[in-house]
Amino acid sequence: MSMVAEKESTASNDAAGTPILSVRDLVVEFPRPNNTPFRAVNGVSFELRQGETLGIVGESGSGKTMIALSILGIVPLPGRIIEGSITLLGKRIDNLSLAELQKVRGNDVGIVFQDPMTGLNPVRNVGSQLKESVRRHQHVSAAEATEIAFHALDDVGIPAARDRLKAYPHELSGGLRQRVMIALALINHPDLIVADEPTTALDSTIQAQILDLLRARLDKSTIIMITHDLGVAAEICDRISVMYAGRMVETGSIADVLSGPRHPYTEGLLAAVPKFDVRRPTLVPIPGQPPTADDAITGCSFAPRCTHAQSKCNERPELELIDGRPVSCWFPRPGAAG
Amino acid sequence: MTDVVKGSENETAPVEQPGTQTPSISQGDVETVPVLTNLSRTLGKRFFELLVLLFAISTLLFFLLRLTGDPAAVLAGETGDEEQLELIRKQYGLDKPLIVQYGVFLSKVAVLDFGKSLANAQDAMGLVWERLPTSFTLVLIAFSANLIVSIPLGAWLGSRPDRRTRKAGSAFIFVAQGIPGYITGLILIQIFAVELRWLPSIGNQGPASWIMPAITLASFQAPHVIRVISANVSEAMREDFIRTARANGAGFHTLLWKHALKNAMMGATALIGIQVAFLLSGSIITEVIFAWPGLGRLLVVSVQTLDFPVVQAAVFMIAIFVYTAITLTDIVFLFIDPRLRRQRA
Repeated sequence: MSMVAEKESTASNDAAGTPILSVRDLVVEFPRPNNTPFRAVNGVSFELRQGETLGIVGESGSGKTMIALSILGIVPLPGRIIEGSITLLGKRIDNLSLAELQKVRGNDVGIVFQDPMTGLNPVRNVGSQLKESVRRHQHVSAAEATEIAFHALDDVGIPAARDRLKAYPHELSGGLRQRVMIALALINHPDLIVADEPTTALDSTIQAQILDLLRARLDKSTIIMITHDLGVAAEICDRISVMYAGRMVETGSIADVLSGPRHPYTEGLLAAVPKFDVRRPTLVPIPGQPPTADDAITGCSFAPRCTHAQSKCNERPELELIDGRPVSCWFPRPGAAG
Repeated sequence: MTDVVKGSENETAPVEQPGTQTPSISQGDVETVPVLTNLSRTLGKRFFELLVLLFAISTLLFFLLRLTGDPAAVLAGETGDEEQLELIRKQYGLDKPLIVQYGVFLSKVAVLDFGKSLANAQDAMGLVWERLPTSFTLVLIAFSANLIVSIPLGAWLGSRPDRRTRKAGSAFIFVAQGIPGYITGLILIQIFAVELRWLPSIGNQGPASWIMPAITLASFQAPHVIRVISANVSEAMREDFIRTARANGAGFHTLLWKHALKNAMMGATALIGIQVAFLLSGSIITEVIFAWPGLGRLLVVSVQTLDFPVVQAAVFMIAIFVYTAITLTDIVFLFIDPRLRRQRA
């Protein structure tokens, strides 16, 4: 796989100190008629440094996709960001005008969506969709754009890439389509790649191939990997954040979180993952359901399902550093020691 | 490598086709066929169907005339006496056995000979040919006007269906859909011919006289097309590929015109094709209102005067036109829907 024209990090923030992306106190709200608004994301903060891969893990509806869409400013209506800031390369991007935001989308930030079956326009060939994005963000001729599109497909391991430019999405298998989606996300060499469940809709063998492809990119790229699959996160992430009901309940290096979860929810998630190398009689599901929009919870969102909840849990726990990593729990689990 | 991958793709790729599309020839053959083969297959199939259809229509026309009683009496009209009837029977071969008459009729139809008009002894098919360009002018202008207005308007209405202006527009189109064409025609005549005296209301007197009949004819059809395009566009704008394009920086106009509209047109093409097919017959009312010297009015007058040869020739011609329009729609589909170009045929 040739890495053609891999963009050098020209940004001024390759110094270890400055983050590529910084999200502060992000709140995304969906107004509901005759009701209190639903907070899909409720005060989330995190940072990403150059070359880092952050996994955001959580159940469906925990708000992880909304974080991805917020970064690109494409939260579906009537939802909107009502609080917080998103800073990319030292520049606020959450309050940009639409025209400025369109220069960020696909150029500074590339995104890979979950479903490659519906993510590409069925009546336009692959090449035209790639070239459209190239010519929007780069000043190149049509012929140059074709070359760039060819190399983009070649780079993500699509065989006979030259011919595939003329292929329509329905002529490609799911795995190839997801490779096209990745090529589309990477084609303008974004500083940040957001992968929203990129392997969820694929067969497990294809999943492995796509993960390999992403892993090959890791050293060069800064990636947010959104997944509900702890196994996927474990394979390619440096750090993970666990989300529950719109909040991050625990963040840490992948090794720390997996081997010594401090939040009871993380612990529950791990207990619910099948493992083949550990003898364990049964999987332990987390009892109950995540809160819905109608559940008014003033305290810890997880308390109704938590086996360790006490009366103190009726107050909301803030993120506090426990062994150097942020956890929001009044009674954190003992971690690896326990 | 390519071939291997291609083979497996054909296994997995969904062969979804919008239900409105017809030209799939499913014979269980698994190989993919290129567009030209597909095109010639479609054309060949359609041509064969047309022949069958024309044969059926000829038969129908032949027996309909006989069903109304003694054709000689019909042809002679109310004033015909026995002597005239004999003459007519002899002239038209009506004294021969029915099966012979049928054979003679078919052999003449095969060379487009429908006999002479009873009204003025002109060749019936010749009369139809004479009127055809005038009707086509009207049909072509109405069709173009329909598309020029309907596509952008439908796209605009469907792009942001929740906006107040779009809602008002959609409501207006909904009402317009219910207004019969002859009302539109009469209103236009009242305003532009009677009150303002801007446009001629009768006959074909050059471009100015095309405007009102064309608008009337288009107003039959445009509201339906607008509503279908609008609904399809608003659906397409919610698709995942629109989100992908938006996430790559596409602006509103790129999303609407380059991504959503092309998808929306696939559903609308089926409707437009059917509308074209019925434009010629639909123009009958319009031609009568505006005394337009076209095929439609010829047909109406011929029916009223029981000029059977002309009626037969006109119906025959309209059938050919309808079938040609449907075939053209199939071909248009081959070009706008990539999923049909290389399909299992």
